[in-house]
Formats: sequence, structure tokens, C-alpha cells
Amino acid sequence: MGTQQAKGNFLKLIQDNKGIIVRLCNSYCAKKNDREDLAQEITIQLWKAGDHYDPNQRFSTWMYRVALNIAISFYRKGKTAITSVSLDEGCYEMEDENEPADETAGNINLLQRLINELGELDRALMILFLEEKTYAEIAEILGISETNVATKISRTKKKIKQKFSELNK
Amino acid sequence: MIMEDDDLKSIWHEYDRKMEEAKLLNLQSWALNLRWFQDSQIQKARSKLGAAVRFKLFAVLLGIVWIFFLSVLVYGNQLRNLYFTISLSMIILFNITAIVVYIKHIILIRKIDYSESITDTQKRLANLQLSTFWISRILWLQMPFYCTWFWNSNLIDFSSLRFWLITFPITLFFILLTIYLYRNINIRNIDKWWVKRLMMAGHEYKSLIEAKKFVAEIDEFKKDLVLNKEFQNIG
Repeated sequence: MGTQQAKGNFLKLIQDNKGIIVRLCNSYCAKKNDREDLAQEITIQLWKAGDHYDPNQRFSTWMYRVALNIAISFYRKGKTAITSVSLDEGCYEMEDENEPADETAGNINLLQRLINELGELDRALMILFLEEKTYAEIAEILGISETNVATKISRTKKKIKQKFSELNK
Repeated sequence: MIMEDDDLKSIWHEYDRKMEEAKLLNLQSWALNLRWFQDSQIQKARSKLGAAVRFKLFAVLLGIVWIFFLSVLVYGNQLRNLYFTISLSMIILFNITAIVVYIKHIILIRKIDYSESITDTQKRLANLQLSTFWISRILWLQMPFYCTWFWNSNLIDFSSLRFWLITFPITLFFILLTIYLYRNINIRNIDKWWVKRLMMAGHEYKSLIEAKKFVAEIDEFKKDLVLNKEFQNIG
């Protein structure tokens, strides 16, 4: 990273897109401590990878690539170290005790659970889809063809919708 | 109720909003504190994912100490005992090879660019993990030389037949075993119980199994699927 101003600008970009870090941490970590560790890890690696960032590229796409790579590596590391992490933990933490368990809260928990049940790569795919990234961007981030993105998203969506319908009956 | 894409997306955005409200992750406290970043040297920050590199560095240092110790012994022997010199030199050679491979791994890990596509980076990482097999194979090669370092001319000329009847089969057994292990410790045999026993028990072994599965998963994920008619109009 070059000048102090360049550093400041880069950190501002990370700050402006911090939502990406928050969402990925919550999707790939069940425990609060892990989420904080992962957020720190992502931030460190974003900083380290900063030199490779091409300003002509869309920052959020670049950030998703770095952050997802770190999140998946972190998740895989945890998966071998801790054999049984409750996927529900994150969902229950989401619930606000003062808020009645309405239909929306139920849907959120269900969606989070269904996404957590996906493999690391499919999970990344669905998160990017729900974040309203274009197929071209998703293909660039994941390193697969757009056709493949379209097919996989259709299949995964279909499964999620089916489970939603079954569980909401 | 038939769920549409927009329904899924609106649930996701609501989830986002709730996360913000619940402050499940208090980023302000540390990670994105601009002042902290500007005042500290981020390069010094200890990365959790750097643990693998630290372990390999430790193994390299340990290997160097071991090689230094063996080299001192070889040097002290001054070629007085050829069996001793050759055995220890071969052990040193295999250890040096293993250290070189470890150093190569460290360089490759440090060169990993996380801003490349997910499938490429993850596959590279998983393959790097699987290359641990190489180190194990190389290190097993030194085994027969632990059976010969104590041989010397006197022992060869004056030992009883009984000594040779014990020593020779043991050495031969280890030579054959080493050849077998060198040829068979590989990814294809990762699921066999004896690989599990010989390689490394527990966590490290489990991570190799996971890495193998993940490489297969990535290959499957990258495969272009033929669009079914039902999907052609979606998206």
C-alpha cells in the first residue's frame, strides 16, 4: 500500500462495504467469537491483498472474492478442528427476545438454516444471488461460467423454495 | 404459497437489517477502526490462517537442527566408518529434500492470491494441503538407513551367523517396506486404514480427507451443466 492517502482511501472503501464482511461472517460462522475472528482475518487479508486491487475493477466484486476465499478457508479449518458446530446457534442468536416470533422472523431463521445446510461453494453462490449480484459478476467471483451459475442457482433456489413450502405447510 | 425469487431476496434483506440491529458483529470495536489501522503495522497482525505456515516453519527449523546434528557426527567420523558415513549422509539427504519441499510449500502459501476466483484459489489451497503426502513419502525413505548406521568392518568380518540371521532380515524387511510405502502412500489410498495409521492420526489426517473431498467438490462445481428446458427461462 503506497501513500498515507491511498491507505486512507482503501480503508474507506472497506468501511463503505463492511456489510459484505458482516454477512459472510454470519453465514460461515456459527459462534460469535468465530465471527469476530473471521471478520478480523478478512480485514487483514483485504489489506494485504490491497496491492493487487485494480481500481478499474468493481471494488465490491474484488472484495467478495477475497472475503469469500478467506471465509471458506476459515470455515474449512474450523470444520476439521471442531467436528460438531450447531448450525442452529446462529439462528437462535438472531432472535430478539423482546420481539414476538412472527412469520418474518421464522422465515429468516429458516432461510438462514437452509443456506447453512448448503456446501461451502453453493452457499457462496446463493449469498451472491441474494445480494443481487449479476450472473456475470457471480461467474467472475466464483470462477465458473455464467451458464453454470444460472443452472446452479435455479437448482438451489428450487430446492430452497421446495423446503420452504414443505416446512411452511 | 408459491415462493418467488423476490420473496427470497426480501427475506434475505430483512435478515440483513436484523443483523445490523442485533449487532451480532461489532465491527466498530476493532476490525474497521481506521485509526487503529493507520497507527499500527497491519503486517505484524497475527493471522489465524498463517498457522499452517508457522507450523511448517517450525518443522523446517527442527529439520535444520537435526541435519546439523547429523552433519557434526558425519564430520567427526572423518570417513573412519563408511557404513556410518553413508547411512547418515542418506538420512541427511532425505531430510534436506523434505525441508526443501516444506520451504517450497511455505513460498506457495505466501504467494496465494485471495483475490483470484474462489474455485481456483480453494483448489490450489486444497492441493497444497494434499501435497503433505510428498513429505511423508520422502521421510519414510530414510528408514532402512537407521538399520545400517551402526554397521562397521569389524561387525561384518567377525560377527556370528546368528547376528546376521537377525540383522539381515530386519534390514531387508525395512527396505521392502520402504519401497512399498513410497509407492503406496498417495491420495488414491487415503481411505485405507494403514495410510491413516502411518501418516498422521487425528486432526491432520482428517484435514487431508476433507481436502481430497473438497477438490472433488470443486471439480464437480466447475463442471458446466447442460441447461434443462425448465431452467432455460429462469434468471
